[in-house]
Amino acid sequence: MRDWIDPHQLNEDDFKSTVQSFEFWFEAVEGYLHGRPFGVSPLTKEIALSDRRRDGLITTLCNYCVGEAAALEASSGMIRFAPDRLAQVFLATQAVDEARHLEVFLNRLSQLGVPNVDVEIESRANRSLLKFKDRLLEFVDAQDWEAAVFAQNVILECLESTVFRHHAATADPVTAEILAGVISDERRHFGFGENDLGRRLQAAPHVHARLAKIKRDLDTLVLDTFSEVMGELDIAPADRPDLAGDYLAAVARLGFRP
Amino acid sequence: MIDPLEHSFVDKDRARQSFVLEDTGFDEVPRRFRRFYRRWCGADDMLAANEALCPVCKVVIRSVKELRAGDLVYCMPCMSRLMLVEEQGKLIAKVIY
Repeated sequence: MRDWIDPHQLNEDDFKSTVQSFEFWFEAVEGYLHGRPFGVSPLTKEIALSDRRRDGLITTLCNYCVGEAAALEASSGMIRFAPDRLAQVFLATQAVDEARHLEVFLNRLSQLGVPNVDVEIESRANRSLLKFKDRLLEFVDAQDWEAAVFAQNVILECLESTVFRHHAATADPVTAEILAGVISDERRHFGFGENDLGRRLQAAPHVHARLAKIKRDLDTLVLDTFSEVMGELDIAPADRPDLAGDYLAAVARLGFRP
Repeated sequence: MIDPLEHSFVDKDRARQSFVLEDTGFDEVPRRFRRFYRRWCGADDMLAANEALCPVCKVVIRSVKELRAGDLVYCMPCMSRLMLVEEQGKLIAKVIY
């Protein structure tokens, strides 16, 4: 008896109920997190970091913590007004992912010798990212599903995914492995957001204008945050990843112009 | 001699090739689905006739048969439903919402 199932033979309803299930999430994360406490294999060794590189990494991780805390609070808050049970279950898995991300980044800060991570995050957090968090939580408090999904699962997740991927390519081995696990989680989060919004925009095109305005308001905050994080990672402007290439491609697929 | 550019992208009357999929180590979906996906290795990564690149999450989607324009496939890592379309002589995957 074969031990595989052809996913392309599933009908659309079965596909959606499979990939948005807790069971799917559990088996997926088991694949890349099992045996990796705090996201890192015990076989992965630390390397010595220069003071400058360590300091830049601490600032970057503080900002990652702000982003993950925002996503944790938002995704857990959105469960209450999610449009259906599948979305509720998916958001529950996302909330768990975000809590894990926050935990592994906090743990990494402790490993780097940060004595009081809350004080450090408070002093180093990017102001634009904090404003973005406030806006996102306003959408959640207002139970505005479209705006919350757009801000969190499309904009924030796209920003994080782009930054994490490029940071992982140049990071020390421990940080790179932590980021690899986080990136694998992010695929589900922004995929959920793009697909949910894509379906909604087809069914209710008038939502598009409202989200376009939200995008214009948030773009500056996103791009400011991106620019500052790239500077902290000591990546020269010419070598910086193309956020526009990823972020704008995602929003363009949803019909938003740059 | 026939100019190859005058040929259509795929001879639609030709039977589709079949492929036996092996597990490539992709570990972001449950084990029973893993052989249907693999990691993309960047712009130099040549896709096989049974493969398509997910435009959303940049994972390579694999099929047990040769893919052709009009086929529907699923990207489980990012939960996307995709249709294969032919654009400028290339087969690419587009998201269907």
